[in-house]
Amino acid sequence: MRLLQFVIWVIISYLFFKLPGILMGKPIPSSLILMYMFFAVVMILLVMTSTEKSTRELLAPIKSMLEDPSKKLIRNVVFVIVPIVAGVITYEQIKPTYEAPVELRSTHPAPPSTIKIYGKTYDLLALENPYRKYEKEDPEKFKELVREGGEVYFKHCFYCHGDKLDGKGHYGQGFNPLPLPFQGKDTIAQLQESYVFWRIATGGPGLPKESTPWLSAMPIWEDFITEEEIWKVILFIYDYTGNVPRSWE
Amino acid sequence: MMGRIISIVVVALVPIVFAGSPLHAAKGDPEKGREIYMKRCWWCHGEEGAADGPAAEFMLPPPRDFTEGVYKFKSTPFDELIPSDEDFFNMIKGGLMKEHVAGWNGMNNTSMPGWEDMLKDDEIWHLVAYIKSIVEYEQPEQGPISVGNKVASSEDSIEKGRKIFREMCAECHGEEGRGDGTKMLKDDWGYRTWPRNLTKPWTFRMTDTVEDIYTRITVGIPGTQMPSFADPESKKRLNDEERWHVANYVVSIAAPYKKPDENTVIKALRIEEEVPDNPSSPVWEKAEYTSFWLVPQMIAKERHFKPSLDSVSVKVVYNDKEIAFLLEWDDRTKSVPGDAKAEEIAAGEVFRDGVAIQLPVVVPEGSEKPYFAMGDKAKPVSVWFWQSETTTEPQRLKLLEGKGFDKIEERDPSAIGLTARGVYDHGTWRVVMKRPLFTKEKDKDIQFVEGKFIPVAFAAWDGSNGEKGSKHELTTWYWLLLKPPVGASIYIVPIAVAVVVLVGELLLLRRFRKD
Repeated sequence: MRLLQFVIWVIISYLFFKLPGILMGKPIPSSLILMYMFFAVVMILLVMTSTEKSTRELLAPIKSMLEDPSKKLIRNVVFVIVPIVAGVITYEQIKPTYEAPVELRSTHPAPPSTIKIYGKTYDLLALENPYRKYEKEDPEKFKELVREGGEVYFKHCFYCHGDKLDGKGHYGQGFNPLPLPFQGKDTIAQLQESYVFWRIATGGPGLPKESTPWLSAMPIWEDFITEEEIWKVILFIYDYTGNVPRSWE
Repeated sequence: MMGRIISIVVVALVPIVFAGSPLHAAKGDPEKGREIYMKRCWWCHGEEGAADGPAAEFMLPPPRDFTEGVYKFKSTPFDELIPSDEDFFNMIKGGLMKEHVAGWNGMNNTSMPGWEDMLKDDEIWHLVAYIKSIVEYEQPEQGPISVGNKVASSEDSIEKGRKIFREMCAECHGEEGRGDGTKMLKDDWGYRTWPRNLTKPWTFRMTDTVEDIYTRITVGIPGTQMPSFADPESKKRLNDEERWHVANYVVSIAAPYKKPDENTVIKALRIEEEVPDNPSSPVWEKAEYTSFWLVPQMIAKERHFKPSLDSVSVKVVYNDKEIAFLLEWDDRTKSVPGDAKAEEIAAGEVFRDGVAIQLPVVVPEGSEKPYFAMGDKAKPVSVWFWQSETTTEPQRLKLLEGKGFDKIEERDPSAIGLTARGVYDHGTWRVVMKRPLFTKEKDKDIQFVEGKFIPVAFAAWDGSNGEKGSKHELTTWYWLLLKPPVGASIYIVPIAVAVVVLVGELLLLRRFRKD
């Protein structure tokens, strides 16, 4: 019965590693699971063979299967199954897979402290959207600025970032990484406006290496639109999605 | 007889019973619709619905002009101008196509998204009410056409449909249905329209069901040269059964391999025979296509917003000496500069068609690749650029080294044994580019090594669509893998392991027996 206990413990630890990944929709790579399981099995064996007696109990069913003539049938079945399982596992491990290499990238890398664009140097830590103040001071003017920002968006951005600002523009599927959605609380809602300004102005090639600048299709917008237009389009993407830029405090 | 009289009476009563019924009137409030419209829709469709929003000039097809009241995709008969309320509702809500391309859940392959995830049904009804109010539309007098007499698809039906198609439809849709017609078509708004490429049903504006195809054939596409084939006045009238045959035929010519999927790896096939240098070689049948989206070049000047090519399909084979790429893409026009016929159906000046393969000069060891659009200073790319013939010059091939958009150098392709050949057939280009696996200058040209993941990207030009230079379609980086033949070892090793385990078991058994 100790053997059964052993098997149960192994299964429990396997599920312990495997289930959370499946439930969250982000499975843990099988190579990692294999490593965890190796340590788990060693641990369980150590505990279960800590005394002479417990070792004997654990191995008793195996011993009896090997020695007891009445269990010959079970023994033969086990003797056939075990090598087959070992062969199959080996095949699974060594068979060639043609899956593309995994490319890890950081979506929101740490920004530099200063950037040089439009022939000026900007301190990203102190940089603020010059139009943001009108939200309180002059709501009518603010509304007009948001609308102008929308016009910038619908001339330059919607092909990829989408009419709904959901990152699903009609050409979006042709790029990798996919265009960033602005809807939801996990993109621009987490960022300061100065950060968004940096990302727009310097585009894909302005990314640091951990964010694979060679893959991003984001143009260098400094070459196409004015500083004012960038600030206005920033107002628009926050306004349309109901997101609020993160502030410093 | 009695049943027929009753049904005639019922049908006659329907408009009387429902005309102006509160059921429909209550479905939406045009004023509320206007509010939503001014937040979500005007950017493309314009403040007054005249299709003149800020985005309008950057898209083809253009947004619908609501002031005209002409709707292309509707289910009411050809002589009924007004779409059904459900037609309006579905046009806005989207989500009709079951297996749509990501981002294309509204009008497929246009910038009109489906709004089902952002607007509630009653908000969509408000919009319907507003849009109808622009041209003061009431209910249509005739309801949707019936799709009840469907003819089940069969070899016989498809064959009948094929014959009718060749006779009636091929002039615009092409002999093979790839939209490679011989006429320049314009819609009522003066925009160039392209007959649908029927082998790519995922690009159909509404859905790809046989009922929807039958509806288009029966109703026509108002505002365009796609007529109703049910119009008794028309020379092209088809009876109901014939229209179902054509619909069945259209479903049958879908070419799913052209639809890009999740796969990002081209698996080059190792062959024993000669590597082919032309697209018609039977060797190609052994390899499989991998397809990728083509998107317009919108990153550097001159940017391109109105592409006419949307995907490219690729096969690669190699032997111990050479490697060859087969690039296949649908292009409705064979662009021959100087040719009168080509100029007649082109959007403007005709340039050569073209296609290009981009590869890193050095296969990166780590994850860092060259910039995906023409490389960069530190990591240059090689571009094999094929172009079609003109009336006076043959096809040509350029070998380019790219260190950025504006840092491109030309080299002699024959010096490294690079050759190319293209054939155009009924709306499809097939181009083969071939090169030895290895070259002398290892720091200037990519060396093709088995088992390595090699970044690869593509670009294409439709010269009849004003595409030249930086105005073209491109792909992002994908992968090429020269798949080495799988040796016997992957079977021998597992068998050996099984034998070892079995021997271990027997030894164990012997030991226990001795005890």
